[in-house]
Amino acid sequence: MANTATLGAAPEAEDSPATPEKPKGNHRAGELRSCDTTGLPICLVAQQFIRLNAVMAVVFLLVGGISALLLALTRWPAVHLLSAAWYYRILTLHGLNMLIFWILFMEVAILYFASTTLLNSRLAWKSMAYVSFGMMLVGAVMVDYFVLAGKADVLMTSYAPMQGHPGFYLGIILVAVGTLIAVGNFFATLYIAKRDKTYVGSMPLVTFGALAAAIIAVVTLAHGAAVMIPTFLWSLGLVGAPDPAWYRLIWWGLGHMSQQVNVCAMVSVWYFLATLTVGAKPINQAVCRGAFILYILFINLASAHHLLVDPGVGAGWKIWNTSYAMYLAVLASMIHGFTVPASVEVAMRKKGHNSGLFSWLAAAPWKNPGFSAFFLSLVIFGFGGGITGVTLGTEQINIIAHNTLRIPGHFHMTVVGGTSLAFMGLAYYVVPLLFQREYYARGLVRAQPYVFAAGISIMAIGMSLAGSYGVPRRHWDVEFAGAQFSAGFDPSAHVMLGIMGIGGTIAFVGLLMFILLTVAAVFFGKSNAGKAMTAW
Amino acid sequence: MSISTPAEGWFKAPSGGERAWIGLALLWCVVLTLAMPYWHYKGKQNSTGESYRVEPAAFQARVDRFVKTNGVGEEKGVAIVEPSPGGDAYLLAQMWRFSPILKLRKGQSYRLHMSSLDLQHGFSVQPVNLNFQILPGYDHVITITPTMSGVFNVICNEFCGIGHHTMTGKIIVED
Amino acid sequence: MTESKEEKVVDIVHSEAVDDPADHHAPGTFVLVLVLLGTFAVYYFANWKALADVWHVR
Repeated sequence: MANTATLGAAPEAEDSPATPEKPKGNHRAGELRSCDTTGLPICLVAQQFIRLNAVMAVVFLLVGGISALLLALTRWPAVHLLSAAWYYRILTLHGLNMLIFWILFMEVAILYFASTTLLNSRLAWKSMAYVSFGMMLVGAVMVDYFVLAGKADVLMTSYAPMQGHPGFYLGIILVAVGTLIAVGNFFATLYIAKRDKTYVGSMPLVTFGALAAAIIAVVTLAHGAAVMIPTFLWSLGLVGAPDPAWYRLIWWGLGHMSQQVNVCAMVSVWYFLATLTVGAKPINQAVCRGAFILYILFINLASAHHLLVDPGVGAGWKIWNTSYAMYLAVLASMIHGFTVPASVEVAMRKKGHNSGLFSWLAAAPWKNPGFSAFFLSLVIFGFGGGITGVTLGTEQINIIAHNTLRIPGHFHMTVVGGTSLAFMGLAYYVVPLLFQREYYARGLVRAQPYVFAAGISIMAIGMSLAGSYGVPRRHWDVEFAGAQFSAGFDPSAHVMLGIMGIGGTIAFVGLLMFILLTVAAVFFGKSNAGKAMTAW
Repeated sequence: MSISTPAEGWFKAPSGGERAWIGLALLWCVVLTLAMPYWHYKGKQNSTGESYRVEPAAFQARVDRFVKTNGVGEEKGVAIVEPSPGGDAYLLAQMWRFSPILKLRKGQSYRLHMSSLDLQHGFSVQPVNLNFQILPGYDHVITITPTMSGVFNVICNEFCGIGHHTMTGKIIVED
Repeated sequence: MTESKEEKVVDIVHSEAVDDPADHHAPGTFVLVLVLLGTFAVYYFANWKALADVWHVR
């Protein structure tokens, strides 16, 4: 193996003349291995928790995915599968498992990786990693139990004065606190790495992006505590009901800001996968890092997007919080939208794919699922989720979009076609490199990002178009059977809902491919310990 | 590399295409920012969020008075009420109905007060596709001017329990 | 599987090219982001148009 990196060596600083002394890691004896493929130092404690969190993430992804199929088949009017009670129950389950559990467990894994391997450091607190993992797991299982038992049919947002079982709120609090402890572990690891001088200069860009995600996560989880603790006490009968407008403002401080955590994590994964798949290197790291800082500074009041047609807040507040805070965060995304593909373009041109405008793109490794997942995620997020998000989040335009299917149409292109797809691409490297197992059926693995991206795009377009006819989100029956006054929608809306159902089914097939192939690799895959991973 | 510490001197101003794109993107953000205040003053559709605290019982009493003074009929047990143009109109949301039925005139403005007796609800006029939030404890006032005549559905688009999808109401707009 | 044609992760991660400012041009990407901006503007203004058609409200 052509690998000159030595055990415990820092990732090589680019472009700098060889320094006489390489910084040493701070690992304890027996807690370090050198990656057989890249030579990067891997803290075995961190690796253990990355594996644990990634496995649980996929378990919750399966729960959320089965729910997703049931929902798509219910909102497809020609199928209308579930009963009303089960539709709302499964909708609650789907939102929490996908948006909270799958994403948070993956993000904890990413934080542990970015602070250890990339900084040549050990994980700061092993015991706290256990505590964090245990709390998150117990909390998530509690939430799923109370939802499936029919004791919390309140949807993910659980808008007060609608009330669920105290165990439901307690579960969410446990997940939030557990995540907060993991974020603390990340900060502690950054601290000991700096203190022990395990690296020189500035931290790598991917770690910097993870740091931005972690900082936003702290603010997000603080909002979560501020809203969920009083709500939990109210559900126990100890305090009065929270004010509904206050609840919405603070809850969305959790609900929307957490999406910015996802964006930061996703962009970091883009940079990471671009490096692993084509050796991409950002043109100007100051620009990339500056964009991450814009996220940290200007996303706080994105909860305003959910209050644009609410009472309790005025037009000045709505417009200010949409434009001031949001558009500098939009600027950040538009900057990443340039720097990420530009880094790929520069790398590909250096490899000789230099003719014309797009030969670099045509020659990109489209058969590598890490690359295709990353690039499709970039395109779906930018062209689909980003454009719709800014438009729907415009104060007045929200009047024709609020609580219609256009909203889930938008966020399925950000957090599913964007974040989840990027995380799937990440898995295609995490499993061979950190689980040290090879994927079977590699042709299917190569196809998976395309199937999933196609399905989720078709579904989201169907949703958006149905929503533009006024079809509400979170609604069991577009025919309004049994309603006092009959209502309904343009027949075209039913066609769009059919497209949504078909897209959702294809996306589910793509999701199931990912889960089955990954589970097969993790538990039954051929070990590649001691040698380099099979190239994609 | 994005995964290794950057070389010294990484902190530098953007140049070339990257610099041009940042400039263009920033310009676009300025357009986005100015569009909303522009529409606030020049546009006909705005969400001012005018609202007042109100106890559910007090709001119910105002709705009852409104029905008594302006009622013109009844359909399926729900009062049909014709507010005077330029005057106040009331819409009460509760699990799982909207009341009363409003009879409005095209081109006339009404101060429509909306509140809820119980949970959060959504005020969604279809097929116009006009959507506002209704919260218990808040009297949400929108000044509304129908620009077309016909019979319109009001549907709830905020989840309010198992009967949510049966929660409908009606607005009649006459020429 | 034709592994010889594929690049190995190790080679990619450790392939450090000399930093040449002349290599920093990404004209293809610039065209792509212009397409993004154009799509964005069309979608955004189409929505203002749709909004202008609904009942007057403030």
